Amino acid sequence: MKRTLAILLGLLGTVGISIGLLAAVGRTDPAPRDFGPPIGPRMTPDTGWGELLIVVVGGIYPTRAEAEAANDAMPFGDMSGYYVVPVAQFQGFDQGIGSPGDFALVCAFRTEQGALDFVALAQSFEYPATILPGRVRSLGGLYVGLGQEANPDGTGPLTHPVPESLP
Amino acid sequence: MRAKVGIFLRRHRRRALPLMAAMALAMPLVVGWHWAKLGWRDWHHNYPAVPNGYTQIVNRFGQPCSTAARAVYMYWRAADTGTTYSVRFHRKLGGYPTQMVSGKGGVSTNLDNDVYGHIQNNHLSQYVKHGIYGYACRYVRGGTSWSTHAFGIAVDLSSAEEYMGKTYSTTNYRFAQIFQNHGWKWGLSFNDPMHFQYATGY
Repeated sequence: MKRTLAILLGLLGTVGISIGLLAAVGRTDPAPRDFGPPIGPRMTPDTGWGELLIVVVGGIYPTRAEAEAANDAMPFGDMSGYYVVPVAQFQGFDQGIGSPGDFALVCAFRTEQGALDFVALAQSFEYPATILPGRVRSLGGLYVGLGQEANPDGTGPLTHPVPESLP
Repeated sequence: MRAKVGIFLRRHRRRALPLMAAMALAMPLVVGWHWAKLGWRDWHHNYPAVPNGYTQIVNRFGQPCSTAARAVYMYWRAADTGTTYSVRFHRKLGGYPTQMVSGKGGVSTNLDNDVYGHIQNNHLSQYVKHGIYGYACRYVRGGTSWSTHAFGIAVDLSSAEEYMGKTYSTTNYRFAQIFQNHGWKWGLSFNDPMHFQYATGY
């Protein structure tokens, strides 16, 4: 009798503790996540080496740390926004804005429409976005977000040079 | 107060019951009149099945950044700033001509007529705040996988207030159920309360 009672009490205790633990975990907020999980195949980063690109600038900073901090303060929801790159990564960039050694928040495009779409997106977040007046030559280097514009033929993302971006 | 109401009903049972019946009958008519006055009704016409995972998204909506992904647009005004945003989205999620929407080349009534119409008719547009957008040919933040925005199947609302990383909602929760009733998943489950997407499984 005592043994049965002990087993029953043990079972009840275990169930009670389990319910308590589950309730405690259930009340906890989900862990914050910086961005949504990837939803498909990753695209190969495309630097557009040697191509003439249109650059949208979100700001120029003297150090990478400052540029990274500014970029963190400008999230585009779950989407990618600006990329931090050295100004020297583009030929012709430093003649227009910034100087070698500076770091810039940029996003580069092969088409004018891609740049305009990004400016509209940035403005909807009330972030600065300026299109550089002329195309600049990419010297390769850090990834700057190419391919994030629709292909002019309407088939999907633009992942290859177009006549306007070829030197 | 409840006691007083009870006493009133007992005393005036004969009058109260027909009155309540009339009110119950009139309420749907008033709501119907209200919708008719605005020229809106919920069509639920030709909704695509909600895709689950990347492969189904591509099979159902095509490649990211395609012409179809940005084929339809609508205007959405932010209640707090008065800014009017042009929101683009996939042709399978709207653009079908109705009483409220002129034909925009789309094939369903999902977003621009049904979801938007419900928000308007329930007087919830006052809670849609600035920072509104739909289609954008972008990767997910910090990666090179496509965002649901690139397929034209996601919209972000009140993005300044309902910023990413927030684990609760202060304004979008008022109309989130309307989106969910029309096949949309709300991003609050992954701490992105501004985000609504017509897809699950990732």
